[in-house]
Amino acid sequence: MTTQGRGRPTQATPKLLRDLRTLRVAVFHPKDQDGEQLTQQLQRIGCQVQAFWPPLQEPPADTDLVFFAVRPDVVKLDFPWCRESRSPAVIAVVNYENPVIVDAILRLGVKGVIASPVRSFGVLSALVVAQYVNDELHTKDKQITRLESKLFGIRKVAEAKSILMETRGITDREAYRVIREQAMTRRVSTEEIANAIINANSILSFKK
Amino acid sequence: MSQRDPIKVGVLFSDYDAVSASETAQLKGTLFAIQEINEAGGIDGRELVAVQYDPHASAGQYRVLAERLIIKDKVNVIFGCFMSHTRKAVIPVIEKWNRLLFYPTLYEGFEHSNNVIYTGPAPNQNSVQLAEFMTSNFGARIYIVGSDYIFPYESNRIMTDLVQQRQDSEKVGERYVGLDATEKDFTDIIADIKNERPDFIFSTVVGNPTQYLYRAYADAGLDPKEMPIGSLSTSEAEIAQMGADVAAGHFTSAPYFQSIATPTNRICLENFRRRFGDETVPNQTWEAAYFQVYLFANAVRQVGSDEIDVLLPALLGSEHNAPQGRIRIDPSNNHTCLYPRIGQAKADGQFTIVRESRRAVYPDPYLVTHSLGDWTAKLDK
Repeated sequence: MTTQGRGRPTQATPKLLRDLRTLRVAVFHPKDQDGEQLTQQLQRIGCQVQAFWPPLQEPPADTDLVFFAVRPDVVKLDFPWCRESRSPAVIAVVNYENPVIVDAILRLGVKGVIASPVRSFGVLSALVVAQYVNDELHTKDKQITRLESKLFGIRKVAEAKSILMETRGITDREAYRVIREQAMTRRVSTEEIANAIINANSILSFKK
Repeated sequence: MSQRDPIKVGVLFSDYDAVSASETAQLKGTLFAIQEINEAGGIDGRELVAVQYDPHASAGQYRVLAERLIIKDKVNVIFGCFMSHTRKAVIPVIEKWNRLLFYPTLYEGFEHSNNVIYTGPAPNQNSVQLAEFMTSNFGARIYIVGSDYIFPYESNRIMTDLVQQRQDSEKVGERYVGLDATEKDFTDIIADIKNERPDFIFSTVVGNPTQYLYRAYADAGLDPKEMPIGSLSTSEAEIAQMGADVAAGHFTSAPYFQSIATPTNRICLENFRRRFGDETVPNQTWEAAYFQVYLFANAVRQVGSDEIDVLLPALLGSEHNAPQGRIRIDPSNNHTCLYPRIGQAKADGQFTIVRESRRAVYPDPYLVTHSLGDWTAKLDK
């Protein structure tokens, strides 16, 4: 199939865009012209919208995304939920961009910013990009945690092997076989066996 | 402004078929409504005066002339724009000066401005109905041909999604041509279509090149009974350009066709021909351009001013007996509740309406995922 003029043929619409109508959005914004403009535009897009002011201590359960009016009067407040690992994406609505406010939006860990006065145009893109960035970050966080624990395990096994090699006078390969066999018999991971060997060794060494 | 002074309104369409016979029809539809309103005594005795510029299809000119209309001619309202990029050029000017634009054109959706009233169909008022009709009557192997710009890209995304909801769907081709394409640009495409034999062709070719697609199709001896073209924008005006014999048998989805058999529509067409002759061909964009002037006039009559801050509350939610039926401006998104219809072109250049909605369909310009079988979009006949 060929296309001409356009880079690639039209693909199926991405999930992030298809799911806009099931997105639960909390708006922390005063009920003024900007607040109304924003909630109305979110309703046009078709999101499920709830609006609150002053900001709740944390967003309602199952919220996917929060629009947050970062005003001089909220700068001094602390919102610990923003920094939690599975927190919803936050998009700041700002009416100043001096360093105090910019610093505040960084501390909130926002994934997008829209400017006051709010216009309909730009809300959709900010929302989709913030949601995308948030999802990517969560995926990367999970990957990093998994890799870290894997790396930690490999270090433990290496240490346990060298203990076995030294105390029993066996080769690297034999030491690994011992650890794996123990792990299989006891139905635990090689990391756990390695840990047990390291602990036992430290107790025995202490006795010596 | 005194209560006797004329009311100046801006009119911004490219004339002389520079882009499209549809845009010329919009210009004439606007001027026609203004004439009618004035002949009926104006707006409570105040005459409507059109200040009219021709932007010659240049987006830059649309922007410059919109600003001239506002600053030099002091209009509060502009009727204008056909192509999406010209509307995008005018909106920042309109918003900066807080004026009002009436936009009478089918477009790709995903827009809302407090300073714009949209009177043409959004995709949920024409694309869904076309997909439903074409796939259930001809099948879901589709070949897409479009002009190379944003309206076709978005329309083709929607059509691709919709067609995929059918079993055995397949997209066998997707081709784009320039906005200034000529007959030879379609030779290769038609050869490919002949080879692929899709169930139907979805055309989002707009403006003057439309005629070359249909002509190339006819010259290749293809038969609309077996493999028709379905379109959102091929209207009576484009058919007059290409010749009725070439268009006969193909389908178009639009809220208005000349053949709507109501007294309101018949009288409107007679009045128009009496004033403007047969040179301009009334079509869907003509009708939207026509009824939106009435929406404006009704609102001004109600509030006594054409300034946006007082006018908008009266416009939003307002209704009017348009040639297509009783339409309404939806107050939540500034678009219009319209009557989707499917027409099949006849040998005389008119359409036989084969499906139509009895209820006005609510505009949903931000709908990403359309669904076949959605009863709110279903046609009755």
